Amino acid sequence: MANVRTYSLIYVALLVLGTGKFAFFEFLTYEMALAGTIVLAVAKILLIAGYYQHLLEEPRSISYMMGLAVFMVFLLTIAAGYSIQ
Amino acid sequence: MSDLPPMTSVKRWLVTTNHKDVGILYIVTALFFLLFGGVMALAFRAHLWEAGGIGLLSGNEFNQAVTAHGLLMVFWFLSPIASGFANYFVPLQIGAKDLAFPRMNALSYWFYLFSGVLIAFSFFQGGAYAGGWTMYAPLNVPTYTPAMEATTGGNATILGLMLFVISITIGTVNFLVTIHRSRAEGLGLWNMPIFTWSWLLTVWMMLFAFAALLAALLLLATDRVFLTQYFAAEQGSSLLWAHLFWFFGHPEVYIVFFPALGIMFETFQTFTGRRLVGRKWVIIAMVLVAVQSFLVWMHHMYLTTINLEIKTLMMATTIGISLPFDLMVFALIYTMVKGRVRFTTPFLFSLGALVLFILGGITGVFLGAVVLDYEFRGTYWVVAHFHYVMVSGVTALVAGLYYWWPKISGKMYSETLGKINFAVYFVGFNLLYFPQFLAWETPRRVFHFAEGAEFYHQLSTVGAFVFGASFLIMFATFAHSYLYGPRAPDNPWEYSRTAEWAVPSPPPLENWTGRPSYRTGNLEFVEDSKAATDGGVAQGEAAAAEVASTHEEDHPDHASIWPLGIGISTFLFFFGLTGITPYIAEFAQGTETPPEGFVGMAGEPNIVYPILTVVGIVAMGYTLFKFGVEQFDVPEMAVAERWPFGGVGNTKFGVWVFLASDVVVFGAVIGAFIFMRLHTGWSDWTTVPFASWPGLLNTYVLLTSSFTVILALVFAERQSKKGLLGAMGATLLLALTFMGVKAYEYGVKFQQGEFWWTGIEYSIYFVTTGLHALHVIFGVLIALFMIYRIVSVDAYLEDHRPVEFFGLYWHFVDIVWVILFPLFYLM
Repeated sequence: MANVRTYSLIYVALLVLGTGKFAFFEFLTYEMALAGTIVLAVAKILLIAGYYQHLLEEPRSISYMMGLAVFMVFLLTIAAGYSIQ
Repeated sequence: MSDLPPMTSVKRWLVTTNHKDVGILYIVTALFFLLFGGVMALAFRAHLWEAGGIGLLSGNEFNQAVTAHGLLMVFWFLSPIASGFANYFVPLQIGAKDLAFPRMNALSYWFYLFSGVLIAFSFFQGGAYAGGWTMYAPLNVPTYTPAMEATTGGNATILGLMLFVISITIGTVNFLVTIHRSRAEGLGLWNMPIFTWSWLLTVWMMLFAFAALLAALLLLATDRVFLTQYFAAEQGSSLLWAHLFWFFGHPEVYIVFFPALGIMFETFQTFTGRRLVGRKWVIIAMVLVAVQSFLVWMHHMYLTTINLEIKTLMMATTIGISLPFDLMVFALIYTMVKGRVRFTTPFLFSLGALVLFILGGITGVFLGAVVLDYEFRGTYWVVAHFHYVMVSGVTALVAGLYYWWPKISGKMYSETLGKINFAVYFVGFNLLYFPQFLAWETPRRVFHFAEGAEFYHQLSTVGAFVFGASFLIMFATFAHSYLYGPRAPDNPWEYSRTAEWAVPSPPPLENWTGRPSYRTGNLEFVEDSKAATDGGVAQGEAAAAEVASTHEEDHPDHASIWPLGIGISTFLFFFGLTGITPYIAEFAQGTETPPEGFVGMAGEPNIVYPILTVVGIVAMGYTLFKFGVEQFDVPEMAVAERWPFGGVGNTKFGVWVFLASDVVVFGAVIGAFIFMRLHTGWSDWTTVPFASWPGLLNTYVLLTSSFTVILALVFAERQSKKGLLGAMGATLLLALTFMGVKAYEYGVKFQQGEFWWTGIEYSIYFVTTGLHALHVIFGVLIALFMIYRIVSVDAYLEDHRPVEFFGLYWHFVDIVWVILFPLFYLM
């Protein structure tokens, strides 16, 4: 497990990333803000899952299982969305 | 409570958590629902004796009977009876003493039973749901079904199904943890008995598929009870339902069929005296089907407005999924060819299942082709094909009943009666379903048909009664066996190979006297204490199996009343919810902006329902609390094969599996938002929140709570009670702050006259953020419980794992908000 210092640094990073999403929509074009927000959201999720949920320290198979669940969501959403294009 | 009363005592069956007892409860209850659904079928088949019906049922009663028959057979009979077999035999086959979480196993059963009771009650609450088992939108919401109305009974059907799915989810988590982490030493995945393999793949499919159904039912229930507009919107609603339902629905076919297939494999091996031909390839084929099952769902949607490219793609994947099945069918046939067949009753049923499945599979290929499906969709061809597939599964499950009856009951059955049973069953089945292929032009779910089809329908009705009679023969055979049958030996079948046949019939409470081990390649029972006394090393080291810190000799508990208590209180809560719609309607009409097209609400408000809802919530709180504080010892197996999930404890793995399921539930709800927004036009979407700052504020609040939860874990590891209490208290306060901001946000919308029924954008906003808020509320309740435990018994200082488990859940809630914030407040 990481130490309090690492947890604190990640907390600060998460706050900054959260603010970043808000700022993007204030100062960038919609498309750029959309793309930037997706990148920041993915970064935040990876930080929380990796360090706060300690996914990095768990057996890799747990990460694969969670990745499979996320893949299922993308599969359903993207395929359903494509079906009406 | 830890002592288990004798099997003759009623109390035993109310408190038991033992896997074999729960297995028997599942099997008996599933057979009851088979009769329930069967009587429905006989009623509407009799009605169909003449075109237009013979007057036995009214139009609405016919619809209710057809719908209830489908729902009961698919959900309350097929999967649960397989679950009963799995409960009884999977732990035995893998060398475990019980499932990983016995109390959760009992809870899963009680939820199943009470979900069925909700269905039974629904008939007396103004009529059960009558829109077909697929519950297609918009027929599933009141606005578009004024003739049927949103009866309280209709709500009970939907909520009953929801409770059933919750039961399935609990069971799924339990079996995944058990099979992956409680296999006897030396029992690698490849060598697992094939029934257990089929069940393992079944529960993996269940984990993701049922989560999608749970999401769909959540949205449907909010439409029906709280008047949201998911499936009542003018555009996109029916496609949304079809996507969500069939993303679950097609894997469900294999979820239902795989356990039956596993039984076929087991019985073919036993009664041909030969190992399954191409066993490893069969396992690979099953894995392929499990994967492919999630890639074909839109072949149920060829007649909708989805584009031709995706239809063509789905046609290709549908043809693709038949290929692994071909391999499995040939493996079964070659096993017969290579072996020496003994035509016992279980084998006859399994062979019959194979024949019927081949017919069902071939006729299904027609429906997989886009052009042919345009002609066949919605006709009796589908009905016949579907039943040839699903009821061939039933045929194999009956084979399982005969195969394992001696093990469960300790008595042998009469082969003569069993063979008569098979003959009547097989004739009845084909007389019932084959004429439906010939009468294929009949529209399904309708009691009017062309004059020329009358003969086929009459044959089918006669077949239905013959088929029904075969089940009476089956029950009589088992009753005769139970009363007069000779005692069954440990292994009545000459060539059975799996571990359940190595113990007495019926097996003792904890299954084994020694520890089962396959280290030498054969099943052996090891006395660990003796080996240690003799100076032997721990068995697991030699076999690279993981040795847990707990000890095998710890005596596990087998009895708890609280699963039943939680089951009853949850039932009261759900039953109460069924009658809430009129109150919501009254509230909506009292606002300045009631929903449009306000048709078909349930009758007069009945105060009993809100009272039951509140009583249910209070009772749930009490029983869950008692469940939480109860001492219930379930030692992990000291020596076990755990690949690929070694290095993580049972409970933590269980939490991860649950979270994987929750990812799909939330993902499907968020996916519903994206789908509807795409359908509307991305930039035409109305943003509902009045400003983005509350979302940003809540982002900070939730991120800070994630930080305090991780601090709680640090303090628990340092055994600092003050620090742990402070961090948990801060988490609690932050969660309440989050809810406060949310309440303010909702309040502003209400003041502006905007509610969840105002439009699809509003429904999606309130339901999605509401579902997240519900997760926060669950977190608050867990945090409160943990704080109580820290204060009262200094909990989590010696063993900090529960704090980590809570953290896993809480961080997940935070992750969901990471997605919801930009989706609803910024985009």
